[in-house]
Amino acid sequence: MVLWFILILPLIAAGLALSPSRHRTVPGGVTVLATALQLLLALAVAGRCASGATVTALPAWLSCDAFGALVLVLCAFAGFTAALFSIGFTRRATQPMEAGRVRRYFVRFNLFLAPVLAVPLFSNVALVWIAVALTTLLSIFLVSFDRSTAALEAAWKYAILTSMGAALALFGVLVLYWAMRQGGAEDFTWSGLAAAAGAMPPLLVKTAFLFMLVGYGTKAALVPFHSWLPDVYSQAPVPICALLSVVETTTLPYVIVRLLPLFPGKAGDGAGRWLLAFGLLSAMGAALLLVQVKDLKRLFAYSTIENAGIILAAAGLGGAAGYGSLYQLVNHALAKPFGFFAAGAALLFAGTTEIAAVQGLGRRSPLAGAALLAGALAVTGAPPFALFLSELSILQGGAVDHRFLPVALLTLCMVGAFCAVLYHVTRMVFGKATASGPVPAFPRSYALALFVAFVPVVLLGVSLPAPVEHLLRLAATALAR
Amino acid sequence: MIVHLLYNVLQALVVLLFAPLMTGISAKLKERLQSHRGPSVFQPYYDLWKLFHKDEIVSHESTWIFRVTPYVVFVAPLFVALLIPVLTDYPLFFAFMGDMLGGGFILALGGFFATLAAIDTANPYGPMGASRTRMVGFLAEPVFMIVFFTVSVVAGSTIPYIVQQRWVHPPANFFDPAHVLLMIAFFMLILAETGRLPVDNPSGHFELAMIDESKGLEYSGRGAALMKWGSAMKFFVLLCIFLNVLVAPWGLASSQNLAAVLAAVPLVLLKMVLCILALVGVESSFAKLRLFRITEFLGAAFVVCVAALLIRLMEL
Amino acid sequence: MPDPHISVTLVNELNLLAAGLFLLATFGLVATRQVLDCVALFAGQSVLLAASAALLGHEAASDHLYAVAAITIVAKALLIPWLLRRTASEAVVARREISQVLNIPTSLLIALGLSILAYFLAAPLRAAAPAGQVGVNLPIGLAALLIGAFTVTVRREALPQVLGLLSMENGAFFAGVAIAPDLPLFAELAAAFDVLVIALVMGLLTRKLQERAGSTSVADLTDLREE
Repeated sequence: MVLWFILILPLIAAGLALSPSRHRTVPGGVTVLATALQLLLALAVAGRCASGATVTALPAWLSCDAFGALVLVLCAFAGFTAALFSIGFTRRATQPMEAGRVRRYFVRFNLFLAPVLAVPLFSNVALVWIAVALTTLLSIFLVSFDRSTAALEAAWKYAILTSMGAALALFGVLVLYWAMRQGGAEDFTWSGLAAAAGAMPPLLVKTAFLFMLVGYGTKAALVPFHSWLPDVYSQAPVPICALLSVVETTTLPYVIVRLLPLFPGKAGDGAGRWLLAFGLLSAMGAALLLVQVKDLKRLFAYSTIENAGIILAAAGLGGAAGYGSLYQLVNHALAKPFGFFAAGAALLFAGTTEIAAVQGLGRRSPLAGAALLAGALAVTGAPPFALFLSELSILQGGAVDHRFLPVALLTLCMVGAFCAVLYHVTRMVFGKATASGPVPAFPRSYALALFVAFVPVVLLGVSLPAPVEHLLRLAATALAR
Repeated sequence: MIVHLLYNVLQALVVLLFAPLMTGISAKLKERLQSHRGPSVFQPYYDLWKLFHKDEIVSHESTWIFRVTPYVVFVAPLFVALLIPVLTDYPLFFAFMGDMLGGGFILALGGFFATLAAIDTANPYGPMGASRTRMVGFLAEPVFMIVFFTVSVVAGSTIPYIVQQRWVHPPANFFDPAHVLLMIAFFMLILAETGRLPVDNPSGHFELAMIDESKGLEYSGRGAALMKWGSAMKFFVLLCIFLNVLVAPWGLASSQNLAAVLAAVPLVLLKMVLCILALVGVESSFAKLRLFRITEFLGAAFVVCVAALLIRLMEL
Repeated sequence: MPDPHISVTLVNELNLLAAGLFLLATFGLVATRQVLDCVALFAGQSVLLAASAALLGHEAASDHLYAVAAITIVAKALLIPWLLRRTASEAVVARREISQVLNIPTSLLIALGLSILAYFLAAPLRAAAPAGQVGVNLPIGLAALLIGAFTVTVRREALPQVLGLLSMENGAFFAGVAIAPDLPLFAELAAAFDVLVIALVMGLLTRKLQERAGSTSVADLTDLREE
């Protein structure tokens, strides 16, 4: 039952936000309430899954296991914090917006959340594809919310490239179905496919895997299909960037990594190698691009690509590093929104996102400067933030399995990204203030969103709570091959 | 044996006699489609009669090629008429003398001489039209080759009589994608080779825009009559190849007696009139292509044909 | 000698014909110069997809595939051209000539090359699946997928790019009706809905582009650069 509620809530919220009212705060308030409710329901589902059960609403169509619960909670949390931030954003972004536009923003926001939350809940692979495709389509008008030509260009590139990826992934899904029928199975769900893994013709499974990897990989912005992501993130509103980055680094690795159990035994090494190759390529490419980045939002975009690469590479390594990959997925999904919110605060105070044009942000607004610095540290994996522990776990896991070359390369990428990001951010935060004019007050919703996003990042950086660890272990066993 | 020889000669006679009629019908139908009255369908016969009774004027600058060309253009389609099925669906006396490839080369011989003759005079429009005709010709050559290639892969032979049987035994073969796509490609080829819209305007009088018509510009009297008749016969022969070999052998005589063969004449002519109706319909729907867009037109025909071949490969 | 392995049932021949014309329509989407012709070709391509589904359904006596054919005709052949004409403004639809990166004969030759590539990619897949017959749908579907991707990269206008995208999905479904004929009907309906949403969204985006940037020539959008 609870799963049905989670699916329907965003749609109800979208409908409520659509109603015309005199107060501009109504759509925002409705959204925050709805996302808070979604978060509570998601936590309830996760709690049940942590004890090993699978929550089922409709067998073979709608169900949620440990891995799905993880992704569900992460997306719901990101939705909640983004909604909080959106209130301040719509109230006093670069230009104040009139009520109609605010309403439209929140309607689209809620509509976007619906397929996002559906991805971990659907168990039929074809429906998962549809949900992923819908997340793209419903976010296009959020990306182009700015209505400038550059925003439209970014939205167009986004739409075309990710839809092409979706078409390739569709072909992969159909070939997978064909393989399943060849093996004589009937159940086109993740668990059913894993059970039928031995009977399916290997060539068909491999072909399906490759098509889905390239297709979904385009949406996850793996190098060399990443060209749309920096453009989109530089144009989209900050809360949307935060939400998009969480969606891309949780739901898409979720869909790709769930294909790994389909390769029984030794065959898994081949699939793992593909993941490792694409992951390393993305991580290294992003690290290189981080050196020459000129825009703050693009900086966080490249950091997203790098982390997506790390997650997939670690999943490809398998074994102990596989657990680390899921750990990284969780921590990144918690840390990245914080980084983007800090960037949003910086944008408010500095007036521009161009890195070279901003200096002395810490003097202009200590809170924004501190947040930006903390955000940069959190996102690149510095202690005492959560990503440090998960990156360490990946590297340790890889070393234990004697995969020294990938571990060395990953370390290089992580360190390189850390240095580049810190270089850029410290230049922005320290030094003499360059921005002039009256200092705006720090919006309360911004502060609230930052605080809410900050807490888990620090908590998980200190220690991993037991329920979370249970979920992670369960999820990792579900992927064992 | 003698009967087959007789029928073969009869075939050539039919081509000779009825070719101007087909040209007349196509001109009349085109005018009718445009709500004009149009000339009589026998007008080409009157034109030929008139031209044969006029004096011939030949330029001092021209060589023997100019004098010989009308005869070559007149005789080439007649030769091809001996090779292809016009009235019967069983092979006749000269049937195995040459296949479709050979027929295509003989027709090309006529076109070659016509081009040379156009350059032979000192008229400036001649070489201009000749070079354009050659351009269309060399673009159409690969399409011809691919058509014959596909036909030989599908039917196992390029002898017209063997190919035509492939499409009706068994009857489902008519819908074979290779067959349908070949029909489309060859239809486009006919439009290009006989100088019809959208490649060229056969009723235009503006020499700067002529492609195919320019080869007959300098001729008068008997030479002009032979060039006109030869053109008409080339059109008739190409239509015969299209209809009797590539579409289906309907209406052709299957038995050897004279009555059946004579009965086939109106049936074949009727089939041809229907095809001309389709041709005229297509002609009236399109504007003339700009010169360099003709590459795209023939490229499309090429691709259609290669697609036929591909489908053939894919089902194996 | 004619190949004895080829089945000569009428339904099979008609399906092959539908596949051939489907491939031709896909070539047409790369090569046609006019936007309205592109939309018409897409509608034709969808009708051929429905025809193939219906024919395969007749051969396998499956009502499911008939339903798929009906959904395809309604959603893709009727609704999408209507949606595109409604949402993309008049100026877009009336545009006569499309500019593109490569000239037409070269594009056609590359599309031919992609078809041959698709055939070679599909051959080992067919060999790996002994049970059941997929025939010609798999290579043609894969070819349409690849040629659709090529169309998107080579066309410079907004609407033909969208149509190239939609033809990629058509290609995937064309293969799908043969390799996954009993995919649950709900999934087919949802996929059709997804395609409709694509058309709606892209149409609206195209109209915004026309309003903002003054033209739908997507190649002129070069403000955002890799920095």
